[in-house]
Amino acid sequence: MIEGSSAPDRRAKMHLAGRAPVDAASMDERVRPYLIDAEPYYRAAGNEVALFRAAFARGLPMILKGPTGCGKTRFVEYMAWQLKLPLITLACNEDMTSSDLVGRYLLDAEGTVWHDGPLTLAVRYGALCYLDEVVEARQDTTVVIHPLTDERRILPLDKRGEVVKAHADFRLVVSYNPGYQSAAKDLKQSTRQRFGAIDFSFPPAAIEADVVVHESGVAADTAARLVAVAEQSRALCGRGLEEGISTRMLIHAGGMIAEGIDVHDACRLAMTAPLTDDEELAAALEGFVEAQFGPRLDSARARA
Amino acid sequence: MRHVALAKNLSLLPRDAARAGVPPRVARRLDVLRALDRETHDALLEAMPEQALHLAGENEAIALIDLLCQTSAEEPACARALVARLHGLTPAVDATALRRWVLHGLQRWRSDPARRLRYFESDDPLAFASHDGKSDGEQLLAVSGELRHYLAGFGYPEFRFELHDPEAARGVPRCPTIADNELWLPRGFGQGLGSDRGRLYRACAAHAAAHLRFSALRRPAGNRPPGLTMLMSLVEDARVERLMARSYPGLHTLWGLFHDATRATSGFGFQGLTARLARALHDPAYADGNRWVISGREGFEEASHDLHHVMAFDKLARKLHVAMMKMRLAPDAKYRALPIYRDDNSLLWNHLAPAPQDEHATVVRERYELKRRPFEPSQPRPMREVQVDMRRRTRYPEWDNKLEALHENWATVIDAAPPARAAAKGGRAHRGARQPLRFEGLERIPDRSIRLRRLEAGDELDLGAAIECMVSRRSRQTPDPRVFRRHGRRRRATAIVLLLDLSRSTERFVPGSFTKVIDVEKRAATMLARALDSARDRIAVHGFSSNGRHEVNYISIKGFDDAFGAEEEALLRRQQGQLSTRMGAALRHATSALAREAADSKLILMLTDGEPSDIDVYEDEYLVEDARHAVAQAAGQGVKTFCLTLDRQADAYVRRIFGARNYLIAERAASFAGRAGQALVKLIAQ
Repeated sequence: MIEGSSAPDRRAKMHLAGRAPVDAASMDERVRPYLIDAEPYYRAAGNEVALFRAAFARGLPMILKGPTGCGKTRFVEYMAWQLKLPLITLACNEDMTSSDLVGRYLLDAEGTVWHDGPLTLAVRYGALCYLDEVVEARQDTTVVIHPLTDERRILPLDKRGEVVKAHADFRLVVSYNPGYQSAAKDLKQSTRQRFGAIDFSFPPAAIEADVVVHESGVAADTAARLVAVAEQSRALCGRGLEEGISTRMLIHAGGMIAEGIDVHDACRLAMTAPLTDDEELAAALEGFVEAQFGPRLDSARARA
Repeated sequence: MRHVALAKNLSLLPRDAARAGVPPRVARRLDVLRALDRETHDALLEAMPEQALHLAGENEAIALIDLLCQTSAEEPACARALVARLHGLTPAVDATALRRWVLHGLQRWRSDPARRLRYFESDDPLAFASHDGKSDGEQLLAVSGELRHYLAGFGYPEFRFELHDPEAARGVPRCPTIADNELWLPRGFGQGLGSDRGRLYRACAAHAAAHLRFSALRRPAGNRPPGLTMLMSLVEDARVERLMARSYPGLHTLWGLFHDATRATSGFGFQGLTARLARALHDPAYADGNRWVISGREGFEEASHDLHHVMAFDKLARKLHVAMMKMRLAPDAKYRALPIYRDDNSLLWNHLAPAPQDEHATVVRERYELKRRPFEPSQPRPMREVQVDMRRRTRYPEWDNKLEALHENWATVIDAAPPARAAAKGGRAHRGARQPLRFEGLERIPDRSIRLRRLEAGDELDLGAAIECMVSRRSRQTPDPRVFRRHGRRRRATAIVLLLDLSRSTERFVPGSFTKVIDVEKRAATMLARALDSARDRIAVHGFSSNGRHEVNYISIKGFDDAFGAEEEALLRRQQGQLSTRMGAALRHATSALAREAADSKLILMLTDGEPSDIDVYEDEYLVEDARHAVAQAAGQGVKTFCLTLDRQADAYVRRIFGARNYLIAERAASFAGRAGQALVKLIAQ
C-alpha cells in the first residue's frame, strides 16, 4: 500500500545519468565516517572499472561474482574511493533478518527509539551499500531490497510506517561466490533480474604476480612462482578441492617470504595447509610448491 | 611322513576319492574338481605323488585343488597347463605364492586368452615368492591418489597408475613406462630411499608430464640401432626437462636429487657414460673430464638456444652415437635410462612402423594426401548391424583372505539396461503395505531455516515480541510473555538402498509356509518403498544375482529419483530368482551409488536368504570374508549396512559379515516385512 502511493513524482525526481561528482561538503555527518580516505590499491584485469562506472551512472545495482580472494571487495573499495562515496559494508549470514538490514526499534529510558539499519542509512543519506556474500542471507531477507533496486528506488519501513526515498547517491552492490553455494542457497530469480553483473575471476598470471609484488613486497620472480603454484592448484577444483589458492593467500605467503620466512614454510602456512584437510591433496599441493621452489632444503642437504 | 602318506593315498585313488582313506575334506574337493573338469582332475592325480612331497599337509592340498577349480572355471586350458608344470616348480613357491601368481595371471591377461595360456605355460611364479609384491601394491595405492592430483595440476587429470609385472631375475630394476594416461611403475620402485620416495614418485610423474607436453610421441623407430634410439631418447629427456623447468623451476632441483653418476661410480661403459652425460646436461656445476661427455654437453648447449628445434638435437644424438661406436661401446641387455626416475621412453618410439627416409617429407606428404583425397560420391553401403552391449560395467576389487590382499578390478558388476516400461502381468500385488513407518522423537539436527518464534523459553530474545511486550506494558495492557525464539530441529535425512538378493535359492519356499522367499523380499520392499517419507528420506530398491566374477548382474528396480509407481512395482514383481549370490560386489556397487547421494546418513539394508556363494568360487570362506571387507569399506565411507535374513542357520556367517548388532534373522515369512520396517526405523534413529 505504501509502495504505490506516489510513484509518478518519484520517477520524475530521478536524474541519475550524467550526475556531477558527489560534493563532500554536503554529505551528511552520519555517513561521512564511511568515506575512504586513501586510495586502495586495485589493479584492473579488464574493463571492469569502466563497466562499473557505466552501471553506476545508470543507477543499476550490481552483482559481483567470483571465487573467494580474487579481489571483489577490494574492487568495491576502490570504486567507492574513486566515486567519492561512503561505503557501508555488510557481511551477510543466514541468521540475518530484514530488521538487521533496515533497522529496528530499541528500548531506552524514555521509550522505544527507532534505529536505522545499515541499508536504511545508505538509502537515506546516499552511500554505496555493499552486501558481501549475499546468498548466505535467507531469501525472505533479501526481498527487502526489491523496491530499492527497480525504478521505484524506495525503502518502505513497515514498522515505522515510513517510506524512505533513496538518496540520489545511493547504490547497491552485492557479491557472492558461485563456487560453493548449494542449491539451497541461491538468489531468487526475482532478485537476480534486478541487477547487472560483473564476473570476476583470477587475473592473468602477469597481473596477478604484479598484485602479489605490490601487496606483499616480495620479489617479482618469487611472486611469479607463487602464481604458478596457484594456477596448478586451480586445476584441482572439482577433485576434492572446492577452490584453488586465491590471490589473497598468495599475498599472505608472499608477505611472509618477504619477511624472511622459509619459502616452503610460508607456502604451507598460508597456502596449502589452510586450503584442505585431505592428505593426498595436501601432498599434491606441496608437490606444486616443490615444482617451483625445489625440494625442501633441509632434507636435500641431508641427502647431499 | 604325512605328506608321503597323503601322496600315496592320492595316487591310489584314481576314480573315487572318498574310498581310499584320503582325508574327507580333500576327497570332497577332488570330487568337485572332477565334476568340473575331468581332464585336469586326472592330470592332477597323476602329478600328485611328486607334488605332494612339497605339500605341507591337508590344507595345502585343499588350497591347491581350490586354486585349480577356480582356474578351470575361468579357463580349463590354463588349469591343465598349471598341472603340467607342477613338477617343475621349486619348493620356494609355496601355496600362497602360487595363488598370487595364478590370480595375477588370470586378471592381467583376462582379455587375451592366448597370452594368458602362455603365461601359465612359461612365466615363472618364483617372482611371486617374495612377499614384497603385496607391499608394492599397497605402496602404489598409497601414492596414487596424490600423484593423480599432482598430474592434474600439470593438465593431465585422468592418469592411472599400474605396477609392472615382477621379474624373476633380480638384476637391473626396470624403468617406469608411460602410456596414454597410464604410468607403469616397477615393483620396489625407490625402495630404500626412505622419505625421498615421495620425491622420486613426483620426479617420475613430472618427467612424464614433460614428455607428454613437449615430446613428439611414437616416432617410427625404423632400423635405427638400439644405441642410437637410446641416445636420442637421452637427449630428448634432457631437452623436455629443460623446457619444463622454464615453467616449473623447482623441478630442476627435484630431478637433480637423483643425478648421482660420477666417474668413480659409473665407469666408462655405455651405461656409465650415458648416465654421466645425463648428469652433465642437467647440472651445469657438474664437472666431467670425459671427452665424449664434454662434446655432448657442448653440442647440447649449442642446440639449446632453440629448444623446440628437435632436428638439431637428433643431429647431436647421431654425432654422439658415432663417437660411441668409435669407442666400440654398445648398450648391453641390462641398459636402462638413468637416473632412476626416468622412464624407458617407449612412448617416444613406434618400433613397428618403418622409418621414413625423411620424416619431414612424410609429414608433408601425409598432409597433402589428406587434403587431396578425392571426393567419392557416397555409395549406399550396406550397413552392418553390430550388437553393442550398452549395459554399464563397473569393476570392483575383491578381498582375498588367503593372500590378505585386494584383487583390483576383480569382479565386474553389470547394471541392467533400463527396463522397457511395459506393464507386466502376473504376480500378486502386495496389499496392505501402506502404513507409513512411524518416526517419533527423531528430530535432532538443529536447522536454522526453521525458526520458532514467540516462545515462553528459548535461546534468544525475540526482539519484535519483546518490544511489543514492553509497549503493551506501558499502555497498561496485559503483556504477552512469550518473548523468546529458537531454531527448530529436523530429522536426519537418510538415503537407503534396499538390496534384494535375487539368486536362485530365493525361489525356494520359506520353511513352514507356502510363500517363496523372493515374494517375501518383494513384499518387504514394497512396504518400505511406500512407507518412507519421501520428503526426508530417499530410498532405492536394487537387486543382484551373479554368474561368476565377470557377471554380477545388478538391477535398479527403483532409483533414488523415481517414484514408486505402477511401473516400478511391476518391475519388482517381474524379478525372478536365478544364478548366485556374490554379496561383496553388490555391496560395493550399492555403496558407490550411495556415495553420490547427499544425505546425512546412508544405509544399505540387505534382504537375503542365505550365505554368499558363486559358481567360480570354491573356497569356503572367500566370499564371506570379501563381503565382510565390503561392509568395512562401506562403513569407512559412512554407509551403514544391515542384513535381514530368512536363513535360520545364518548366525555364523551373517554375524561375521555385518557385525554383531547389524543383522536380524526373521523366523517367519509373515513377520519379515514388519521386521524390515522395524529394523529400518531403528537404523534411521541411530
